[in-house]
Amino acid sequence: MKKNPITFVTAAVLAVIFGLMLFTFQVRQTEIAVLTTFDKYSRSIKDPGFNWRLPWPIQKVYRFDNRVQNFERKFEQTTTRDGINVLITVFAGWQIADPRNFLESFSGDSLKAEQALEPLVRTMKTGVLGQHSFGDLISTNAAELKFDLIEEEMLANIKDQARKNYGIDVRFVRIKQLGLPESITTKVFSRMKAERQTQVTRFLSEGEREAKITRAKADSTANQILSEARASAIQITGQAEAKASEYYKVLQQNPDLANFLFQRNALEQSLKDRTTLILDQQTPPFNMLGGVTKPASNKAQ
Amino acid sequence: MDRDRNIQNLGLVNLFLLLIVGGAAQMLALYASSATGQTGVVFLALGVLVAAVSAFQMRLEAREKVEQLECEELKKSASALFSQEADTFPARRSREQFEKWFVPGFTIVLCVLQGLGAYLLWKWLDRDQGLNTGRGTISLALASLFSLFFFMRGKYVAGIARLENHRLLRPGAAFLLLGSLMALLMAVTEAVGYFSYSRVDVIVARVLCVVLGLVALETLITLILEIYRPRLKGQAARLLYESRLIGLLGQPGGLITTAAQALDYQFGFKVSETWFYRFAEKALAWLILLQLGVLWLSTCVVVIEAPEQGLLERWGRPVAGREMLEPGLHLKWPWPVDVVYRYRSREVHTFYLGFVPDVNSDQEKTLLWTRSHFKEEYNMLVASREQGYLDPSSAAGGEQVVPVNLLSVNIPVQYRIKNLHDFVYKHVNADDLLELLANRTLSHHLVNVDIDDFMGAGRLAAAKKLREEIQKSADENELGVEVIFVGLQGIHPPVKVAPDYEAVIGAYQEKQSNILSAQAYWAAIIPSAHAEASNTVLKAWSESLAKVTTARAEAAQYTNQLAAYDASPSVYKERSYLETLVRAIGPARKYVLGVTNTHDIIWLNLEDKIRGDLLDVPLPAGKK
Repeated sequence: MKKNPITFVTAAVLAVIFGLMLFTFQVRQTEIAVLTTFDKYSRSIKDPGFNWRLPWPIQKVYRFDNRVQNFERKFEQTTTRDGINVLITVFAGWQIADPRNFLESFSGDSLKAEQALEPLVRTMKTGVLGQHSFGDLISTNAAELKFDLIEEEMLANIKDQARKNYGIDVRFVRIKQLGLPESITTKVFSRMKAERQTQVTRFLSEGEREAKITRAKADSTANQILSEARASAIQITGQAEAKASEYYKVLQQNPDLANFLFQRNALEQSLKDRTTLILDQQTPPFNMLGGVTKPASNKAQ
Repeated sequence: MDRDRNIQNLGLVNLFLLLIVGGAAQMLALYASSATGQTGVVFLALGVLVAAVSAFQMRLEAREKVEQLECEELKKSASALFSQEADTFPARRSREQFEKWFVPGFTIVLCVLQGLGAYLLWKWLDRDQGLNTGRGTISLALASLFSLFFFMRGKYVAGIARLENHRLLRPGAAFLLLGSLMALLMAVTEAVGYFSYSRVDVIVARVLCVVLGLVALETLITLILEIYRPRLKGQAARLLYESRLIGLLGQPGGLITTAAQALDYQFGFKVSETWFYRFAEKALAWLILLQLGVLWLSTCVVVIEAPEQGLLERWGRPVAGREMLEPGLHLKWPWPVDVVYRYRSREVHTFYLGFVPDVNSDQEKTLLWTRSHFKEEYNMLVASREQGYLDPSSAAGGEQVVPVNLLSVNIPVQYRIKNLHDFVYKHVNADDLLELLANRTLSHHLVNVDIDDFMGAGRLAAAKKLREEIQKSADENELGVEVIFVGLQGIHPPVKVAPDYEAVIGAYQEKQSNILSAQAYWAAIIPSAHAEASNTVLKAWSESLAKVTTARAEAAQYTNQLAAYDASPSVYKERSYLETLVRAIGPARKYVLGVTNTHDIIWLNLEDKIRGDLLDVPLPAGKK
């Protein structure tokens, strides 16, 4: 019988592949493995690399991811020590620490592990928050804020139980987000509106106050300037009077003439505008209307 | 007779084998969570139906032959007593009715099932498949066993089906060989999955879905063509439910035969009998093996592209000294000894805090506080310096007023991988963790900052601080990323209170407007007062000067007048009086009463005329 070499080569290659698959396994850098013999735990392999094994069903290999896995759940309503309702969501990072325990607890199923972790995280989250006031979570005063402390307390409560019961190392627990229930959110909106309205009123009042003060100061300053000007004017006028009166001393030489001249000037000034005079013939020079021969009997004094 | 019985038995055995081994394959596929296996089982289920129908048809044909033989016997013995009426062949009539009505009806149902199967399988594959169950070895072994079993049985039945009058075995044989192929594919995908290429399973399953869809299309076309096929008496009808495509998949060797026949026909001579063709046919297996060998050796070369970095692992362990492969050509041991995982580590990645982006928001030209411009915006809690109060009597109700404000923030965060080792090996999903940590950092920052500071002058400083805090958090958790940008592009009050915030800005502007208006008043009145003051003082100066000057002049005039007066006092006075009178009363209206000794009463109308009359118009000056 003629042997077909191609069949031999193919069979050999397949046998090698199949043999390798039966007797070896590799563990990646990202993995951790548990080897069981007749379903009894034999050993854990934490270092990556090539490994030998006995074929199925004698030995079985269970591989798990040894990296940090994220765990996050929904927003949940809870109350603080001072009775304020808050919504809070936390996330955690966990890693398989004891692969044997993990395998036995969850058959190596990460989903089951997270389902087991959830009530633990929720219990500790609400428990720790119930011991803190709202001001510990939110405050402009950094000294009052205990955000980090709350996270540490949650982690401390979760860590031991997860390690002991599930073979899981919870690396961190963090608060992702805080919120308020809808009903309280509405109230906060109302308060924010009221605050803004207060600011509106304050700004308007301040504007009016500033404007009134500025206007009043302007009026006051203007009046002061005008008053000072008037005072200066009066002073100047007085000085002028004094100076003029020195010139008028010369009038004392003949008061009769001075008075005549004053009267004459007053007459001239008073007749300047829109004057109607009703005169008789006695008034010089109209007395001349009675005849030139008649001597003027009345003379102006 | 015996031969017909044998055929029937073969058909029934095929049916039961497909049923039993197909069921076992289904259990194996479920056990291994193999998408390829479960898709292949759908093919086998259809094969069971086809095998059942063909087995039934075999039985009808066998009965017809028995009936024909009996009839011929009767014809020889008592030909005069019985006539050859149609009613005397019930088996033939049954077979004819079966082929006329049942077969097309079944083919239609089969076509619908094939189409529906393809659609539902495709949808089913959309959900996440259980990958890498760790049961690869046993699945591989059993699938290989099923494949071998189906192959041997299929080959045997296919050989018999080539004989004359055994065509009804063909559909069953085709499905047996297809079963072999399906089991082989499952074994291959399990083997590949064993080496961490689990996605291949889903890809192969999708390809099988497409094939099933094509088979449905072929069945439909066959049905349509059957309507227009000319019916020739004595010609055996083609089996409508038999798929050529499935036959081809089960026996790829048939493709070579078909191709050779086509070449012979095209060139007009027996190409398939040339030395080259015969050599190629003999060497084909070696060539394929060589091709596979070359393909395997090609895994020794890896090219990392410009934006990428690669992680090199040997038996799953990072290779010391060559852990990270930079862009370029690299040599390595062949798969599965060395495996390279590529990552586009130099690319900038972005995620968003505080909102879910909406693709339609890009169409908006203006972004306003009062209108939501994202798919979803979260109300972040921000501390407030304002003191709220708590009503203890309604702690569980909705009357609580808490000392916080709510704020909408739109913050894009950009990062890039700076340490691929940490990014890949320390976290299952470093991207998601970075986003979670960034959210936490933002929440932590906001609960300790006043809303007005955060929205106002402290914005740029806050962006810088946030970036530093996110980076610090990422470094603490060994994420291996570099946060390159945190943008506080949109920080504003929630939409519901945004109008009130705008009102504050409006009020502030009004305040400034009032102040500026008052300052304008100041600017107007003070210079005016200065002007008036200057006017008053200058006027006083001017009048004083005039007074003094006049006094000096009058004093000088008086001295001169005194000299004149002293010279002739009465004449001087009379002259001076008359000169003054003439000058003073010149323009005045004068009435001189010439007669004084009369009793007449003289009425003078001294009223002023309000309107001028003709006599008031001055005459033009006469020409000189």
